[in-house]
Amino acid sequence: MEPDNLVLQPRDVHFDWTALPMHWVPEEPVTTHVMNVLHLLLPAGERWFVRTFRQAVPLITDDDLREDVLGFIGQEATHAEAHGGVLDHLLAKGLDPRPFTDRVEWVFDRVLGDRPGLTAGQQREQLVERIAIVAAVEHFTAYLGDWMLNATAFDRAGADPTMLDLLRWHAAEEVEHRSVAFDLMRHLDRRYTRRARAMLLSAPPLLHLWVQGARFLMAADPDAGRLALRDFRRAGRRGLLPTGYDLTRAFLRYFHRGYHPKQEGSTSQAVAYLATSPAARDAH
Amino acid sequence: MDRFLRGLARFTDGYLKVLPLLGKAVPDRPNAPLVLEVARRTRVAPDVVALRLVGDGPLPAWQPGCHLDLHLPSGLRRQYSLCGDPADRDGYRIAVRRVGAGSAEVHDLPTGTRITVRGPRNAFPFVAGGPVLFVAGGIGITAILPMVQASRRDGLDWRLVYVGRARAMPFLDELPDDRVEVRTGRSADLLRDAHPEGAVYCCGPPSMLDAVRRDFASARLHFERFSPPPVVDGRPFSLELRRSGVVLPVPADRSALDVLKDLRPDVPYSCRQGFCGTCEVGGVRVCVQRPTGDRLVLEDL
Repeated sequence: MEPDNLVLQPRDVHFDWTALPMHWVPEEPVTTHVMNVLHLLLPAGERWFVRTFRQAVPLITDDDLREDVLGFIGQEATHAEAHGGVLDHLLAKGLDPRPFTDRVEWVFDRVLGDRPGLTAGQQREQLVERIAIVAAVEHFTAYLGDWMLNATAFDRAGADPTMLDLLRWHAAEEVEHRSVAFDLMRHLDRRYTRRARAMLLSAPPLLHLWVQGARFLMAADPDAGRLALRDFRRAGRRGLLPTGYDLTRAFLRYFHRGYHPKQEGSTSQAVAYLATSPAARDAH
Repeated sequence: MDRFLRGLARFTDGYLKVLPLLGKAVPDRPNAPLVLEVARRTRVAPDVVALRLVGDGPLPAWQPGCHLDLHLPSGLRRQYSLCGDPADRDGYRIAVRRVGAGSAEVHDLPTGTRITVRGPRNAFPFVAGGPVLFVAGGIGITAILPMVQASRRDGLDWRLVYVGRARAMPFLDELPDDRVEVRTGRSADLLRDAHPEGAVYCCGPPSMLDAVRRDFASARLHFERFSPPPVVDGRPFSLELRRSGVVLPVPADRSALDVLKDLRPDVPYSCRQGFCGTCEVGGVRVCVQRPTGDRLVLEDL
């Protein structure tokens, strides 16, 4: 019996990165850095989610949804903090992420932030559009979360346990709250066109930022070499990265009329992981 | 900035201008509030009453661990675990021990009363697949009972330690004898039967939860996450909202957020423990922060 209608609670997690090696998947600089892009994108991205959703709270007329959104905001805020901690560690190790994170901040501020000079009607539409973009991105985070919870290849490859716990704690909370952004979007605008349009607008910049982020990290790491498509494919075959095929299929699923985020991933699995996650347990 | 991102920014500038021309947002139809009728009251222990609540049709589905928010006629709101059978969609069962104003009001609700409820929501999801030990203290049995029934149905290897103050404990007649250990009075060594690889689900008073958390070294401990820790050693103060020119009294046992929420129901907050920062107003985390003096000023509200 799959539990439903979870009460979402942020968890006060802490991670100690002092022992984290640069290549936390041993001898896998490509996997390490493609996954490290998460730390570059998420602090700025999730803080933008939080700003957007805080603005949306007064528009919500459903008590259960408001409670879900408040739980979502708290979880996203702690995700941003936790990934920010990895950035500090990278900087201390001599890999300065700021040239790239400045660019990411610019995107969330200049492209997706509040705009002066919009009329009230334009502002309201921009807010709903931003929420629809969050819903589109949350489809990917739910897909990736489910993928990460099942990616046993990391354990076989001897990946750093603290980093795995960060990624799986985050993955589990993404699965836990995967319906919230979609439900909020539908609450404010139930048109299919809004959903489909936001996905078409979100996916290319997201892919672009991910590729640029991985290139940036590989270039900044003297022991990493250059990023080649071939390495990405090889990591995919080993189960260390999602394959292009699976990502494309996940992208297309969002366009099904009957799509709902509940269809991605398993709440039971997420809850079970959170009960055993060292960081989430310490946060109780 | 690379060309793609500069192009994206220029595109967005134009896009936001034409966005309202693409049609206005169509909000979803609001959900009607759930109104249930008290169909039956049964005394299941000297100070515990079970209520059967029915609606006008099939009720929303629920799973073990779910609770209901009751909006009582007096305005009080109270949460109670659903303790019936999830397969029964015609009615919900809750059981209430008489301890304070809210539970006394529930005890006195005559059959036929209609009350608004919210939920079911799940703050204690049950996901065990392997060996599982349940530990229930007092009225905490209400959350555990549906989990026990689900485990029986699924053929799990389960045990229950059920601790009460006196011998007349609710729902003993619904539990099989062979896997249940009933204890009265203070109880030590609650986890004697816990499987090292198994899960523990515990629902009871805070002292029981603390004891279980201290004793259980294995990873799979589940318990309900209750509302925020109570304010201890708080002093009353005044909360000043500078922009609105409002001053609100905050009593010793409430937070600035609690008081602010009464005035503005849509104020954002989340963890209520000071770590997530959602409720921050001008650098003040109103869910936990109290002034050193007798006044807390929020400039931006």
